[in-house]
Amino acid sequence: MKSFSTIIKSDYLQRTRSYAFLITLCASLAISYTFVPEPNANYSTIRIADHIGYYNSAWFGYVTAIMTSIFLSLIGFYLVNSSIKTDINTKVGQIIATTRINNFKYLFSKVISNFLVLLTILLAVFTMSILLFFLYNDGFPFEPFQFIKPYILITIPSLFLISVLAIVFEVFLGKYSVAQNVGFFFIFSSLLVFSPKTENEFSLDIFGSKIVMHQLEESVREITNTDKITDLSIGYVIGNFEKTNKFEFNGVDFPLSFIISRFLWIGLGVLIIFLISGFFHRFDIKEGISVKKITSINTQPTLVKDINVSSLPKTKINYNIFPLLKTEFLLLFRKGKKWLWILNIIGMILLGILPIKIAHQMVLPVLWFLQVNWLSGLTTKEVTHNVHYFAFASYKPLSRMLTSQLIAGFVLMLFLALPLLIRLLFVLNFTAVLSIVIGGMFIVLFAATLGILTKGKKLFEVLFFMMTYAVLNGISFFDYFGGLLHNSYYIFRLLCCILVLGVLSFIVRKIDIKKM
Amino acid sequence: MQLEIQNVSKRYNKNTYGLKDFSITIEKGILGLLGPNGAGKSTLLKMIATVSKPTDGVILLNRNNIIKDPNYIRKQLGFLPQDFGVYPNLNSFEFLEYLGSLKGVGGKNLKSRITQLLEGLNLIEAANKPIGSYSGGMKQRVGIAQALLNNPKVIIFDEPTVGLDPEERVRFRNLISDLANDCIVILSSHIVSDIDTIADKVAIMKNGSLITKGESENIVKKVEGKVFETTIEKEKFSSFKINHIVVSTKRKQGKLQVRYISENSTDDAKVQEANLEDAYLYLTKTK
Repeated sequence: MKSFSTIIKSDYLQRTRSYAFLITLCASLAISYTFVPEPNANYSTIRIADHIGYYNSAWFGYVTAIMTSIFLSLIGFYLVNSSIKTDINTKVGQIIATTRINNFKYLFSKVISNFLVLLTILLAVFTMSILLFFLYNDGFPFEPFQFIKPYILITIPSLFLISVLAIVFEVFLGKYSVAQNVGFFFIFSSLLVFSPKTENEFSLDIFGSKIVMHQLEESVREITNTDKITDLSIGYVIGNFEKTNKFEFNGVDFPLSFIISRFLWIGLGVLIIFLISGFFHRFDIKEGISVKKITSINTQPTLVKDINVSSLPKTKINYNIFPLLKTEFLLLFRKGKKWLWILNIIGMILLGILPIKIAHQMVLPVLWFLQVNWLSGLTTKEVTHNVHYFAFASYKPLSRMLTSQLIAGFVLMLFLALPLLIRLLFVLNFTAVLSIVIGGMFIVLFAATLGILTKGKKLFEVLFFMMTYAVLNGISFFDYFGGLLHNSYYIFRLLCCILVLGVLSFIVRKIDIKKM
Repeated sequence: MQLEIQNVSKRYNKNTYGLKDFSITIEKGILGLLGPNGAGKSTLLKMIATVSKPTDGVILLNRNNIIKDPNYIRKQLGFLPQDFGVYPNLNSFEFLEYLGSLKGVGGKNLKSRITQLLEGLNLIEAANKPIGSYSGGMKQRVGIAQALLNNPKVIIFDEPTVGLDPEERVRFRNLISDLANDCIVILSSHIVSDIDTIADKVAIMKNGSLITKGESENIVKKVEGKVFETTIEKEKFSSFKINHIVVSTKRKQGKLQVRYISENSTDDAKVQEANLEDAYLYLTKTK
């Protein structure tokens, strides 16, 4: 038991004592600030037809709990899905493998540690929702139970299951980060689409939010005395605030079957971990490189030439960045698995044959998202691979190395979008072409800047996933490549972002190089 | 060619220094840097390599301030850090080409220079294999090769022999001797015998300060007549090592043969010929 709790504690401290976690926590707080819009804000998050609730305790508690359940489930997976990988990379896993802790205990300790990391963020979001309640007070009393109840029954079990899911993916797809990202994307989307109708079916909803949404819709139906479908929309909808009516929401009386189901989901999570523990590699894994370790190269006596340094061919000064670009592309091609390139080719073919609108709105963001692993490592790989002492002590590292990295990223994005760009040029849609080009620039700079700022890959991966998901669901605020409808202000806004990101990335990297 | 380090300090917080008011002048040849863990060797080497900046002080190469103008030394620098990594998906040839580009060298000769370096470091057979599949010693040799890519005039090796087998260590020593003819070579190591064999001058550091610098023979003189060898009972060893600096022990017929440093000899102790390891231990334990 002691080793179990020690692993949880160490793992939790290791992950939360990082700059990247601090930034993630700040980003979560900033996002949670928007969960319940300020009374005069021109956007809504949860809305039933043209109704939103009065800002009472129940509305705050349930809205923030549902939003957190979805938001944290979405990004939480990406935050916690590398706990076993970290043990592999740091070689701590090899030590753990020699201890008496069994697979189930180890994996379960990782689940709990994942869960605690997510709970820490949840606690920050929960505190923020209480602060916002007092800030936007509509004159309603503060009822703590209305705040806590939805978090306990909806959010916490969801986060536990996400923690379990992260471990399941690591056990079976540990080596394939892209497969994990894409796989979770599809699972998450399918779970959200699931629409239960009866009381028993609500128990099958992993995120536990559907029952609340149903209750909200029912409440509005009662007020409006109509059988018309009162659609509930979740997400950031901008500019629809003026037509809004208000109604009083007093929370949900959860049926006993639903409450039991939430505990059963947690139990199922534990059972899943128990069942997969037999498949866990326990760190008996092949090296990341498919080639066998070279150990026998010197078994035969070989005649080794001595180096006469003074007679070595003299090299010329060459500050060209093309060799650096070449290496960036080599790293790109070598890093990507074959199946990823097959997917890329399929994506490019789809860009060339599907209707332009679908290709632009749906295929392009997914195709670009497939590059998430490479993009997130664009400016972090020197530190990840510990070659930063060479790289940062090189000649003009800022203007040469960072530039070559940005160009390489940009060229890849444009190359992948090429079939669509050609089609758009043929139909003389220059605005769309410009949007894609600027979008490519934006996402590369976004990846580079977040990598430089956080010294890690996670934050970009999480945000890129969120943006892609939002865009596929038609939320135009997150559209960075002109796939959805836009006003003329859109391109100007993106160019400003590019400028800010560009300046920020160069300044911070310069400071990094100076501070080393 | 002259590298002057003048009153250099590296402060991490109010009372913690990695290096404190450190001054040394280094000229052509091989300077061996010795010191216990935490002495500040790597901190010093990183500052010379412009990877890290000093909090105070000046570093001049041929009278050019390399803190203000790091590119002056970077053009002529070969640096092997103590702890470095590689891109595991590249082979050694590609990786060296990449580092050559970072250093700003190229031209037709770069490829043949890389080939000759790989041949000389016994890596040519593995040159087309991903570095991720290399052993520790092979990676270390890739590190040595990259330090020699750009006709360097200042070469810094931080613990270069880590992971090398005895044969490779000998080859490395020969290589270093060859380099010293027209370069400044700074070499840090825990292996005193490596430094003793190849360094023209030796500097010993402790707690971020320079204890001594000079030719190996002169440093050894400081401990002459203070190195002894005696045989004691095993049970007495614990109390013995409290009062003496023990250099080495050897089991012999149920007893311990001890080589130690002391200002005074014991009755049955015999004076031994001192070496650099004795001097190093004496200086770092007593000063």
